[in-house]
Amino acid sequence: MANIITASHLTLGYSGSEADIIKNANFRIKKGDFVFITGPSGSGKSTLLRSLYGQLKPRSGNLVVGGHDMTNISRRKLQTLRRHFGIIFQDYKLINEWSVAKNVVLPLIIAGYGLDLQEVQAKKLLKHVKLSEHADSLPLELSGGEQQRIGIARALAKNPTIILADEPTGNLDEYSSNVIWDLMENANDQLDATVVVVTHRIPNIFNIPYRHFIIENKGVYEVH
Amino acid sequence: MKYIKDHVMFLFPMLAILIGIESFLVFGRMSKDYEKTLRSEYTMLVLAKLPMKLSEFKKIDQHISSIESIDKESMVKEMAQGMRGVSADEIIKDLPYFYTLHFDKYLDNKTIEQSKKKLAASSSITRVENFGKSHNSSYNLFLFIKVILWTFVGFMTFTSLFLVIKQMEVWQLAHREQMQVMEIFGASTMLRSGVLFKRAIIDAIAATVITSMMFMFLRYVWVKKSGIATLISKSNLLFEYKDVLILGLISIIIVAVAVAVVVAGNKESRL
Repeated sequence: MANIITASHLTLGYSGSEADIIKNANFRIKKGDFVFITGPSGSGKSTLLRSLYGQLKPRSGNLVVGGHDMTNISRRKLQTLRRHFGIIFQDYKLINEWSVAKNVVLPLIIAGYGLDLQEVQAKKLLKHVKLSEHADSLPLELSGGEQQRIGIARALAKNPTIILADEPTGNLDEYSSNVIWDLMENANDQLDATVVVVTHRIPNIFNIPYRHFIIENKGVYEVH
Repeated sequence: MKYIKDHVMFLFPMLAILIGIESFLVFGRMSKDYEKTLRSEYTMLVLAKLPMKLSEFKKIDQHISSIESIDKESMVKEMAQGMRGVSADEIIKDLPYFYTLHFDKYLDNKTIEQSKKKLAASSSITRVENFGKSHNSSYNLFLFIKVILWTFVGFMTFTSLFLVIKQMEVWQLAHREQMQVMEIFGASTMLRSGVLFKRAIIDAIAATVITSMMFMFLRYVWVKKSGIATLISKSNLLFEYKDVLILGLISIIIVAVAVAVVVAGNKESRL
């Protein structure tokens, strides 16, 4: 399988601070991989994920995502690249003024799909995450677990090639977390999407093969 | 309450801009009408050695829009009747050709003098005389009021535009999270700013309708009640239906500019 993400001598840090968060990291992620990135709080897990969807520019080294050099990528190309991503956040990042159904089809709205197709896809996705009865509700009317399922449905809306998840179960109880992990497994298994999950802890029961990277002392290492 | 406050904060400066622009249009129409009146009250008489055409006059001064030839034959024949030993034909032969000139716009004293000099300098013309009231001082006062109004409208538009942009920044802040989420999922700037544009365009249309209705009221109701004869006869100058289109177009341009300014100032900076 071809590499979909390649980092070589990657160093990350925030503007306004000279301190490096990730230093000289080297790793490769193949198409279809399911990857967990773990590490202690403040180790740079979310920072690494941000660099993968282009919100953080590498300080030095190379980072290639989906064939694009993230150091020099133009704004327009970054927009196009992001449309192939499904991104899931710990705090869900839903648009609270929009209905659940509209939130779910956000990537389709951005891609310019017609209303009919949006409606069909919304029904399908909400059925998939078992939220069909809440299509017209507002996100804040639902529980945390349900909101995260909306987030997952949104991430899957356009059959993404890469799914990036930042602590997707961080705010959820065990039951909701298990539902989320099942959905993530399905996305990888059935859609053949590459999934990169940043998390504190790998779930005890996980039914598909995965790779595990750990961030320690600013370095990224694969655990075999 | 917050919703109303939000909209009022945008609507009021928009109204200020549109009322200013409509006043500008009304005053523009009034000044044109006034100039037309002044122009019609003004004529210049030219005596030429030979018959002349409009094109020949236009070569001397481009502001000449039309000419009227004075029929000297009937005039002289009438005068010669009852005068013994006077041959009308001989008088006619010796008389120059008379022309009344009209201009394409109202000319001030300085320009009239320049025109006179140009005409007098022509070898075909023997004499130039101008008749008419001198409106120069009242016309200058009119121009002064026009400049004052333009300055006031310009200042008001500029200030209000700042208020419009400020209010849009408040909206942008309120929708910041939504715009950020859309950005992460690859939405273009146009799509992200759509939420601001939608909100603003509703208020812009409302401001256009309110301004148009205000001036329609002035034209159709207030003027009649006022009893001011000059205004009643010129009430059509207070509002024209094409003004609605002009105001609508201007308000859309203002909204587009304000959205562009706010969005351009808040582009995602890659950390």
